[in-house]
Amino acid sequence: MNELRQLSKDLLQNGTVKVIIGYAEGTTPGRTKPFIARTPEDTDKFVFNKHCVNNLAVYLTRKEYKGKGTVGIVAKGCDVKAIVQLVQENQINKDDIYIIGMNCNGAAADFGKDTLAVKCIHCTVRTPHLYHTLLGTIDEMPKQEDDHLKMIEKFDAMTSEEKWAFWEAEFEKCVKCYACRQTCPMCYCEKCIADKSMPRWIESSAHTRGNFAWNIIRAFHLSGRCIGCNECERACPAQIPLSLLNRKMGMVAKKEFDYTAGIALDNPTLVGNYNNADREDFIK
Amino acid sequence: MEEKIISYSNLVSLTGDLIKTGCMVICEDKNGTGWKRIENPDEIKINHKEIPSNISYKEFVFPKTEPVFYFKSKKEDYDLIEKNAQPGKIVFLGAKPCDSRSVEIMSKVFNWDYKDEFFNEKAERTIVIGTACNYKDEFCFCTTVNIDPASEKGSDLFLIPLDENTYALKIVTGKGKEFIQPYLKYLSDGNPAKSQEALAKIKGPDKKFEPSKVREWIGNNFEHKLFDNIGSTCVGCGQCAFACPVCHCFDIVDEECSYECGRRMKNWDACQFGLFTLHSSGHNPRENQNKRYRQRIAHKFKYYTDKFDEILCTGCGRCSRGCPVQIDIAQVAGEINLVANQV
Repeated sequence: MNELRQLSKDLLQNGTVKVIIGYAEGTTPGRTKPFIARTPEDTDKFVFNKHCVNNLAVYLTRKEYKGKGTVGIVAKGCDVKAIVQLVQENQINKDDIYIIGMNCNGAAADFGKDTLAVKCIHCTVRTPHLYHTLLGTIDEMPKQEDDHLKMIEKFDAMTSEEKWAFWEAEFEKCVKCYACRQTCPMCYCEKCIADKSMPRWIESSAHTRGNFAWNIIRAFHLSGRCIGCNECERACPAQIPLSLLNRKMGMVAKKEFDYTAGIALDNPTLVGNYNNADREDFIK
Repeated sequence: MEEKIISYSNLVSLTGDLIKTGCMVICEDKNGTGWKRIENPDEIKINHKEIPSNISYKEFVFPKTEPVFYFKSKKEDYDLIEKNAQPGKIVFLGAKPCDSRSVEIMSKVFNWDYKDEFFNEKAERTIVIGTACNYKDEFCFCTTVNIDPASEKGSDLFLIPLDENTYALKIVTGKGKEFIQPYLKYLSDGNPAKSQEALAKIKGPDKKFEPSKVREWIGNNFEHKLFDNIGSTCVGCGQCAFACPVCHCFDIVDEECSYECGRRMKNWDACQFGLFTLHSSGHNPRENQNKRYRQRIAHKFKYYTDKFDEILCTGCGRCSRGCPVQIDIAQVAGEINLVANQV
């Protein structure tokens, strides 16, 4: 933690970065919240622990930072995936970001719990794959069953009618607070299709029909782009298991196109690329 | 105030009778997401010692989406079809004191310059069976906004848990008395000494700030630099407003219903959304998240109090507990209070 504070202080002091997006203590000790350090003194508030679950890359595409000097960011591997995907999609310039990479021993599912967050169970980037400075150590992580994958397998085995009934019951709970969209680093559209009213593509009403339209379209928009930080599901007050949709779509992208979002900085994006060898047999 | 005793099993039987007579009985759902209409009396949940649900029960008086009227196109004109009012009581069973005042607080704005028939029609059918609350965590601050976790205020009938299977039942209002009349067979004589003892054990959360200080300070320091970064980490979702038992903003939209029929809908809206104050000219008076967050604080602790002599907050802590970026409203108000004290 001292290393993190010292490095951040130096970066702000010597003008390498304008601001640093990191974590500070939350409501009670041990809890954390996103915090933006603007002065060297601010960096004394920085903390890093297993409750730093947020994906801070969501702030990088904000108007107040984009193109206005270098932004420092405290980033775990999963956050770096978001940064890489944003660079791939030309949303941020890699030279405008200073990544303080954090070796990560997994984030807790909730405060006061020892179980790992779903995204950490199948994590492949405990040491970030891109950084300017790397901090922290990698410790032994408790092995945890990937129950989430079993849920997806169970879901795959359902009939179309069963799948429909499952999502109907889940989406009925949606209140259209858009916490899923707002916490998603990949949902950066200046004007979301859900907010367009001339014409209105997606009904703003939170009835089942409007909720289906919203959640399914969002899942499609994230296909091959979702980096699996699972912030949408964590943020959802209605506890809709959005990770089932997003991880499944990611698995399809991997299987059909051998593409994983947020891994290779210089590669074109999945939907921004065409390959002669791509499958076409689904076009009928 | 009349006081009776009801056992848990009699409460289940009472609920069964209510469902049979066409009452909508609303309880917290099993996994703590929100509240739901129960069809089976065994599903009742009197949550007096666990964390409150993520979302409050306001949707049963102020639905997240509700048709105002339907219209059907004829050749030259439109036919308007009015929606019929629903019969039957709406019974909120197991409302903590931070929930039980929700309808009462929202009533003030829905009956101010215009009487909102959609809200009133449901509010009038409401019976609140509250419960004394033995829960508190770091996000609770009911006592700060003058709500007592042991108080029956806002309830028509009020449960005081005496042990796992027994509750004292206070008959608080005339409405409550009339409502319980047919079910006296489930009640036995009360023992006020025992319920007093149970209530005395309830220690609410410590006070976190002074709402009157916050109110006064915002009024005189609207452009203060404290507000420059107040919403800097807010991502602009509506979790706080939609989980809140008293946030009441809505939007009106028209949508199609079927090929020949359309409807006008009244949908929840939230002041943290960028679109909330966006003018058709493109101008937005609250152009960034700092201004939107200032509005949230000011509406809760100043404007609503100025207008209706009521704080637009019950201290339930849902907005803070559920905030995806961990913004704690009591902490923010506490910071304002601190600055106010320095002046």
